[in-house]
Amino acid sequence: MTTGAMRDEWYPVGLRSKVDAGGQQTMLMGEQIRLRETPGGAVAVETADGRALPVVVGHGHVWTSLGQPTRPLFAIPEADQPGRRLVEVGVVRVRCSPLRAVENFLDIAHFPFVHTDILGAEPHTEVERYEVEIREKEDEVWATKVRFYQPQAAKSASGGITTDYMYRVPAPTCSVLYKTCPARPGEWDVITLFVQPLTEELCDVWPWMALYDDVTPMTDLIHFQQMIFLQDRSILENQIPRRLPLDPGMEIPTRADLTSVAYRRWLKRHNYTYGAQLVAQ
Amino acid sequence: MPVALSSDIPPATVIPLQTPSGPMALWRSASGRLSMSADRCPHRGMRLSHGFVRGEALSCIYHGWSYSQDGHCLRIPAHPDLEPPAAIRVATATVCETGGVVWLALAQTESQPPRFSHHTPLRSLAFAAAPTAILVALNGRASADGSMQGELAGLSVILLCAPQPDGTSMVHVLAPSDATLEERLAISSATEALRRTAETALATEAAA
Amino acid sequence: MKLYDYILSPSCYKVRLLAALLGIPLELRAVDFHPGGEHRKPELLALNPAGSIPILEDGELRLTESAAMLVYLASLTSPDWLGRDTAAEAARTEQWLSFAQRLTASLGGARLCEMLLRPGDLAALQAAGIAALRELEAALFAQRLHGEDFLVAGRPTIADIACFPYVALAPDGSVSLDPYPSIRLWLRAIRALPGFIEMPGIHRLHELKPEPVHGAEGEPA
Repeated sequence: MTTGAMRDEWYPVGLRSKVDAGGQQTMLMGEQIRLRETPGGAVAVETADGRALPVVVGHGHVWTSLGQPTRPLFAIPEADQPGRRLVEVGVVRVRCSPLRAVENFLDIAHFPFVHTDILGAEPHTEVERYEVEIREKEDEVWATKVRFYQPQAAKSASGGITTDYMYRVPAPTCSVLYKTCPARPGEWDVITLFVQPLTEELCDVWPWMALYDDVTPMTDLIHFQQMIFLQDRSILENQIPRRLPLDPGMEIPTRADLTSVAYRRWLKRHNYTYGAQLVAQ
Repeated sequence: MPVALSSDIPPATVIPLQTPSGPMALWRSASGRLSMSADRCPHRGMRLSHGFVRGEALSCIYHGWSYSQDGHCLRIPAHPDLEPPAAIRVATATVCETGGVVWLALAQTESQPPRFSHHTPLRSLAFAAAPTAILVALNGRASADGSMQGELAGLSVILLCAPQPDGTSMVHVLAPSDATLEERLAISSATEALRRTAETALATEAAA
Repeated sequence: MKLYDYILSPSCYKVRLLAALLGIPLELRAVDFHPGGEHRKPELLALNPAGSIPILEDGELRLTESAAMLVYLASLTSPDWLGRDTAAEAARTEQWLSFAQRLTASLGGARLCEMLLRPGDLAALQAAGIAALRELEAALFAQRLHGEDFLVAGRPTIADIACFPYVALAPDGSVSLDPYPSIRLWLRAIRALPGFIEMPGIHRLHELKPEPVHGAEGEPA
């Protein structure tokens, strides 16, 4: 097993708010690591054999890497806008490839069947044409002008609306979703999926949100997102093979899957193959 | 190879099976026709046995892609106007149903599945033991057709054992056709006892 | 009636499910069980020193055991669901309500380990869960021989609701339901009940709805 080019990327390994001096144990790409708060209030992460790893704190989480990241942690400027509520959804473990978890997050066509009567419902199953690109300057995958009919798009939404989305993949196991904000038309709600690769077939998923919603109790916001992700979990644990096939032929994409096609192409181009299955294997 | 009992798969249902040709989905259409396909949707690899049967088609729970009995994709809900290309299909396998037992044809066999004139299906249950260990625990005899005959609760029974890839067995129990309700219940209990014996023997062997 | 609820808790779901099946409205108060651990904080401990959820309040009445909540809801509106037509039926219902606690400890424990990273001996919890599933399968098979689709009768009772969630969610704790044909039919019978509601991990039975006819779209859902 090789960690490949993904070794030098940043990964979420815990909620900043939960790390204390007592520390906590977790795993990253097959290696045991330990997080703790230092007397100075910073966070330190080290491997089982005592090697100190690079650390950044951002988007509510502690991020580290087994390698040497060449880029800073990606920014989410919208999340810094005043008036947003930052929602720490917490961790959920899934027996699947970290890449499959991200790909599912980029998909809207499953809403009527998996998030029935919440994010989608028959007969509103059609996925209209949308735009996908790999932005060379930022080196990110973007899907824009995505629209889908939703019976209950967010905790603060009542009744069905056609919702607009933009999807962004700034790192191999992270995605940021920008979505119509029911409380503030014209603004985007920010919903993220940060995935910690434990192994190639096991991951801890840390959803996190930055919303304009002054009304809904925080716990209801957390539960809404946990509900959505847990509906996905039983799908993710039953895909064959567990790893994401990066070469064409193993799975059949359609026009609705253009984001997934671009994501897979981008992964392959960068040799981001931890959790992927290649034909040669 | 025996894979399931007819009574366990009513119309408009789908069940997962482990077979020598890999994981398969066995499903019965609303009109009662039985089909078997690979347990994997070619779109994103989701297990089709988690899906649903509407009318005469099997649909994937993930994106609702539906398949006919011959494995062709009939419908892609994300593109309602699209006629799915003929190339999109799932592999299928041949099954037949006789005397209340569903059989999977392995390879290109000419032979018909065995018929049992005095026995009818009772129930299926998983044993964490190989067929050989089950035969020993039953103290029964194996027939040329692969079935085992013996006695449970003082009554003549036939066991059809389907070995699973993980070393366990799915055991389909056939009871005398004229057995009373009480006798059927007694055979069911005795099969559980047989399972304890077969699994304990295995554990003892492993410890030794 | 107010339920202190957690969307991912199968025990809370039992109460929500029965209330939905019986048409009893509930006021839901979301408890930040994960990641917040709110059930172990002063406000909730004052209601239930055991630090568990669900908690059901109706006027002066406060209940902290889900089985008692099922009894209460059924007694209020639908005594048929109590499963107490005969002495034997009443006793069997009680038997399954107790059995449900074994499911919570075994399959529920495995689920908390596998999904929410709670500490526990996963292999032992899974083995205990499989033993419980085998007992349930045998009992449901016997019920089928008697021509009955549910645990204690031909109709659903609180015994079914008490056992249903942790069984249906066994795969969350990496315990497969594949080897249990009678359990599979029973789960399906419960999911097909009028008024049934899902929880995450239990999908909608889409086959209960006809295939949408394309071209008939456009009406607001």
